[in-house]
Amino acid sequence: MMRKLERHARGKRPNFYDTPGMDDAMAMILVLANELSVVRDRLDTVERVAAAKGIMLDAEIEAYEPDQAVLEAREARRQDFLSRLFYLARKQAAELASGDSAERYQGALDDIAVN
Amino acid sequence: MDMLNTFQQHQHAALPRANHDERARQEFTKSLKQFVQQGLLPGLGPVFQNRAAKAFEKAHGRPPADRWDIRKAMVPDLYFQHYAATNRIAQEILWESVIGSIERQLPELEAATKALSAASAGAVESSPDFAVPRYVSAIDIHCMPGGYASEAHGDDIVQGALYDRGVYLYAMGYMGPNNDDMGRSVCNYVTRKLDGFRPSRILDMGCTVGHSTVPYKELFPDAEVTGIDVGGPCVRYAHARAKALGQDVHFLQRSAEDTGFEAESFDLIVSHILLHETSGQAMPRVFRECHRLLKPGGYMIHADLPPFDLMDPFTQFILDNETYYNNEPFWGAMRDKDQIRMAADAGFPESSIRFDTAPMAIMEFAAANESYTEDAAEALADREFTAGEYAPGGGWEVLIAQKAA
Repeated sequence: MMRKLERHARGKRPNFYDTPGMDDAMAMILVLANELSVVRDRLDTVERVAAAKGIMLDAEIEAYEPDQAVLEAREARRQDFLSRLFYLARKQAAELASGDSAERYQGALDDIAVN
Repeated sequence: MDMLNTFQQHQHAALPRANHDERARQEFTKSLKQFVQQGLLPGLGPVFQNRAAKAFEKAHGRPPADRWDIRKAMVPDLYFQHYAATNRIAQEILWESVIGSIERQLPELEAATKALSAASAGAVESSPDFAVPRYVSAIDIHCMPGGYASEAHGDDIVQGALYDRGVYLYAMGYMGPNNDDMGRSVCNYVTRKLDGFRPSRILDMGCTVGHSTVPYKELFPDAEVTGIDVGGPCVRYAHARAKALGQDVHFLQRSAEDTGFEAESFDLIVSHILLHETSGQAMPRVFRECHRLLKPGGYMIHADLPPFDLMDPFTQFILDNETYYNNEPFWGAMRDKDQIRMAADAGFPESSIRFDTAPMAIMEFAAANESYTEDAAEALADREFTAGEYAPGGGWEVLIAQKAA
């Protein structure tokens, strides 16, 4: 079986921000940035490996013109991505639109507990 | 213009081999550290002068006076928070990126290092019963998970392999393709500055994976070279690593405080960034042990950190961040020690003790690796000293003392 190596350093980790959760959020953002950079490097490798085989993906990519179906598929994907990226803001707007609140939530808990 | 750092580590036979994505992940952590150094660090000065110092003065009725005041002024500042948090996270994801890579290939890596070690004429010695000093075992120094000495079994080399790759990224390649610039720079110093002194028995204390030790064997081929460290996985990996670089070097698990060697066994004793990873009690013991082990006329050279009293308070503050944010418990305290006095108390004649600079050797050897372009290596070697950057510009600080003849 594969040996699992230690992933945490001994020693209390300091927090840097006053806002609770901000340290965690910053770490997650940078890990995501790391993976984005990995994917970008991999794509670059794909182009260069193809070029070494005579397929000039870079030039082909620059010359490529998306047709209408592709334009639509991409725009739909981008909008979907953005709505996921802003899912918390959208949730807050939806709550305000429907009159949802922490009070209503607690009221439901109290109600369901006894009824 | 900022230096474009494309430095790449030499892939010797003991070094873990990263696959494409592991390498890209590791490369990013090096880029992130380079960015923090070139893109965020320079902003700390103006942020302090024009914002944090003013806020401090408003709150306290006086300007910040020393590094502790400056720290109080900066810690609440959002720019500093971004700088320090990003620096810390870069350090954490750096180790993470290497650990995952080692975990994937551990059986192959163990086989490779075992074969290299078996082929070496140098001795290797370690024991599961070795008492690792508390200053190494209490906190994982520079946030390397597992530290120098954790081992799953008596042949474990993981922490050594982790250090070899991780410290290259940590140093952003500034120590050269084999992480050996400090050793090479001190070797040059010995050859050029010590009036024809040629060591025949050399001891490298706190050698970790022998990255600074190997150059001594290369540049003084007739000398017997020994590296000691308290980390079992480090000395075992070091032994294999030296062989991968074509050198037979002895690596023993020993403490620099009490090495167990006979008196007057060596004519040159060196260490490279060891002292700041010891403790208030250990450091003078290391100096006394050096004096005991040296032959008359022999030299002790420690390449480490210059004392705080030579620097302005803002520079001290920047450097002291390592103490608070990078698991370097002795980093700041060590810089407040009177190292000259300590060496004198250990028995070295006062007239022989001094701080000096060993110029970076990187220009002389890095050209062999094409990722070390002449422009980049020159930019590295010719920098001004800037607090918070990985390596001081120009050269490494050394404390040197000679035992009475």
